[in-house]
Amino acid sequence: MANPYEVLGVREGTSKEDIKKAYREQAKKYHPDQYGDNPLKDLAEEKMQELNEAYDSLMKNTGSSNGYQSSNSYNSSNNYNSSSTSYDDYTNRDIYQSIRMDLNSGNISSAEKKLGSMSTKTAEWNYLMGMVHLKKSWHDSAYNFISKACSLEPNNIEYRQSFNALNTQNSNYRGNYYGRRNKDSDMGNMCINLWCADSLCECLGGDLISCC
Amino acid sequence: MFGYVTPCKMEMKIKDYEKFKAYYCGLCNSIKHNYGNLPRLTLNFDMTFLAILIDSLGDNKSNFTEFTCAIHPLKKRVMINNNKALDYAAFSNTTLAYYKLMDDVQDNKTMKSKVFSLFLRNYLSKNKVEYNDVMKYTKEKLLLLNTLETNHENLTIDELSHVFADLTGFIVSFYYKDEIFKEDLYWLGYNLGKWIYIIDAYDDLEKDIENNSFNAINALFNSDKLDYKSFSKCIKPRIDYILTTCAQQCLKNLNSLPLIKNEDILYNILELGLMEKMDKVFNRKSDIDYLKGVEYKDGKSL
Repeated sequence: MANPYEVLGVREGTSKEDIKKAYREQAKKYHPDQYGDNPLKDLAEEKMQELNEAYDSLMKNTGSSNGYQSSNSYNSSNNYNSSSTSYDDYTNRDIYQSIRMDLNSGNISSAEKKLGSMSTKTAEWNYLMGMVHLKKSWHDSAYNFISKACSLEPNNIEYRQSFNALNTQNSNYRGNYYGRRNKDSDMGNMCINLWCADSLCECLGGDLISCC
Repeated sequence: MFGYVTPCKMEMKIKDYEKFKAYYCGLCNSIKHNYGNLPRLTLNFDMTFLAILIDSLGDNKSNFTEFTCAIHPLKKRVMINNNKALDYAAFSNTTLAYYKLMDDVQDNKTMKSKVFSLFLRNYLSKNKVEYNDVMKYTKEKLLLLNTLETNHENLTIDELSHVFADLTGFIVSFYYKDEIFKEDLYWLGYNLGKWIYIIDAYDDLEKDIENNSFNAINALFNSDKLDYKSFSKCIKPRIDYILTTCAQQCLKNLNSLPLIKNEDILYNILELGLMEKMDKVFNRKSDIDYLKGVEYKDGKSL
């Protein structure tokens, strides 16, 4: 593992408070959530993990008396109950991030357990729970969770995209069946389509069928 | 509960249709051969699908033979015989039918199901040892389903249908339990089982509300005790969403299976057959024509 001090960008022997501060700053910069579907996201995830590891090991080494156990387990981030609220937010984000990793690696039950143990139900919580249920093929509740996430944070592109994907998949599937049934549409239908196309062209100043 | 997984006849090639029928007759024959004549009455299309799906993953050659059917004596028919997949489907068919009947005996205590289940029990004792796990699992899960249906307060449709879906997934994937594609098979079965459970409930909704008997959709969603007409109107989009998602997931899992044969039949069933059934159940048009103006009889009369 890389030198944890270097990773966090602090000098050796820095106080706990300063380490925390540095961690917070770095975490803000690299948090994968802000990258959306950007290819940078993977990189950010890696970096974030590095940061977490470095932070964990430093906090353990500074000889604090109370329980910062098991540096690698993300569950333990629950224990960092620092006084500042913004920091609390970060621990939540850590859990969310570890849940995302669980989801990616297919460890659904672990993700579900972590979500179940959380008391605050934010938009992200609803979204991730929706993802868990999606993986379990619990389609009805997945739909409800994801639409809840969308209504809580209407501007979040990730939630919106997932929600739309749910509906698009279904209409594609339906379309295949209905498309076949209506394939032998009659001539009249085609004439109307042509006429519409012609009118549209004329509206824009062009002409599709010159005789009318 | 059974008989919803059928092919979309109008989009089928004749050879696939004949092959489907051969599997159907083969399944019937295998039930007769392994369990006797009476259990043949429980024969259904869903299990024909199971036989076709399982057989599609094995590289054995199908054995077609011509025979005359006792019920339809006039025409010669073709069936597949000596097929292990068919035997497994025959076993699943009989087992599921038996435990389903036991359920009915407990539920409404009609004479018919009681007598029938007594007969079936004798037949089922001839089972193969290798499938004992499936029998145990089926018994357990259907019992659990029964318990959940009686105490359905605070359950969601996903929790309730999970039991039957999981059982179907288990049965579908058990035959290939040591293969790498077991997971895909399980999820195909899981979604298909959920689809069957929910479409069956929706299909029976009107009848069940009238007779005041248990119906999963009515019990879980109809908290205001609406009548059939207004209730079905407001629940339809939600059920439609769940069913379409299940069907679409079945197809997705089929795509990742290493199919060796029967590909066209399977795609026909999961891509079009399920949709056709949903269309029928939702729109209640039992004889809508696929080709305009041409009437065709209900798909059940093969």
